[in-house]
Amino acid sequence: MSWYGSFAALLPLDNLGHYLHWHFIDISIANVVVIALMVITFIAALLLPFPGRQRRKENP
Amino acid sequence: MTKKAFRPDVDAPEWKGGYSPYDIIKEGTIALVVVALLTLLLAIVFGSPDEHAITIKTWSNAAPVDFATTALSELNGTSTTAQYGAPYNHGSTGPQLGPFTLAKWAGVRISVNTVNDFVIDPLKSQPSQPALSTALTQWSQASSSERAGWVADYTKAAGKMTFANGQVMVNSTNAGPVPVFIEDLTQMARSGALDQALITQAGFYTTNYTMPLLFLADGTYLSGLADHQHLTGDQWGMMNETGSYPGQAWLWLYTFWYQIPPFNTSANADVLVFAIMGLLSIGLLVTPFIPGLRSIPRKTRVYRLIWREHYQNQEKT
Repeated sequence: MSWYGSFAALLPLDNLGHYLHWHFIDISIANVVVIALMVITFIAALLLPFPGRQRRKENP
Repeated sequence: MTKKAFRPDVDAPEWKGGYSPYDIIKEGTIALVVVALLTLLLAIVFGSPDEHAITIKTWSNAAPVDFATTALSELNGTSTTAQYGAPYNHGSTGPQLGPFTLAKWAGVRISVNTVNDFVIDPLKSQPSQPALSTALTQWSQASSSERAGWVADYTKAAGKMTFANGQVMVNSTNAGPVPVFIEDLTQMARSGALDQALITQAGFYTTNYTMPLLFLADGTYLSGLADHQHLTGDQWGMMNETGSYPGQAWLWLYTFWYQIPPFNTSANADVLVFAIMGLLSIGLLVTPFIPGLRSIPRKTRVYRLIWREHYQNQEKT
């Protein structure tokens, strides 16, 4: 196995996935994680202050 | 000439304040580098699924009875492909939207005769074998009713089909050359020769897998594997990938329609969902022209959250 192959073996994703079922909704845990990360990123983009705001001052 | 009234949804007020310099190239470069490093890191740490391609050879060795039964369905005209309609044949009207027979209008563009293309022609491509040559001659010289009788006889007996000692076993009595066809096609498939025979690409590179894919899709083996991996239409399969790899989450709305009535039971679900998504996409495109909908950003005031420093400064002054 190549050196990068041993890295990939740390978290292999070729095993059968786990799924959440609720009524007609059927979603993989992997997709839930990705969606949660997207929502967190969106909220962070809204709430985190702009970088360098101390240096930037609006002209009157 | 009277001045037009200010329309808050459409008109932008003239900015009379100051301007701040902003380096968008710098921001773009930082974003590119961060995303590239993140991609590299995730690609190293996570192993991606590496599913081997399913071929007819794989299928016929793993499930020979399913293959032989599917081959028979191609011969007796009961397979999905045989009854699909356009663009493959005239087996049915095909997908339609209300009174609009869209597939029929487009016509037969990729002609598929399942009897000849999937069974007879591949067998003809085999090196000379006395029993097969005799069977092919018998088939070619028979009338349509004789052929139909043989196929019907074999179909009747095929309900108890088994596979033993490397051979397809069916107790048919008056099936003419059909047992030889099914047995030889199965052996051809198990050797990998049928995969090659069904590839119809004329060019140097082989990229047209239409025929083997249609044949594969007519059986239950491929759909069984897809079902196991949560990839079928009624499992939100459009959103999923093989293994536990994240899939195409952004296709949630497209695949959502397939889960609810009337789409989950409709034979025309593909066309209906395509039409709905087309309408919704047009709606999104013309949002700036739809009163009420276009006011949502202004009324939710999310922009004031993003640019809160600016509005705080404005309130101070």
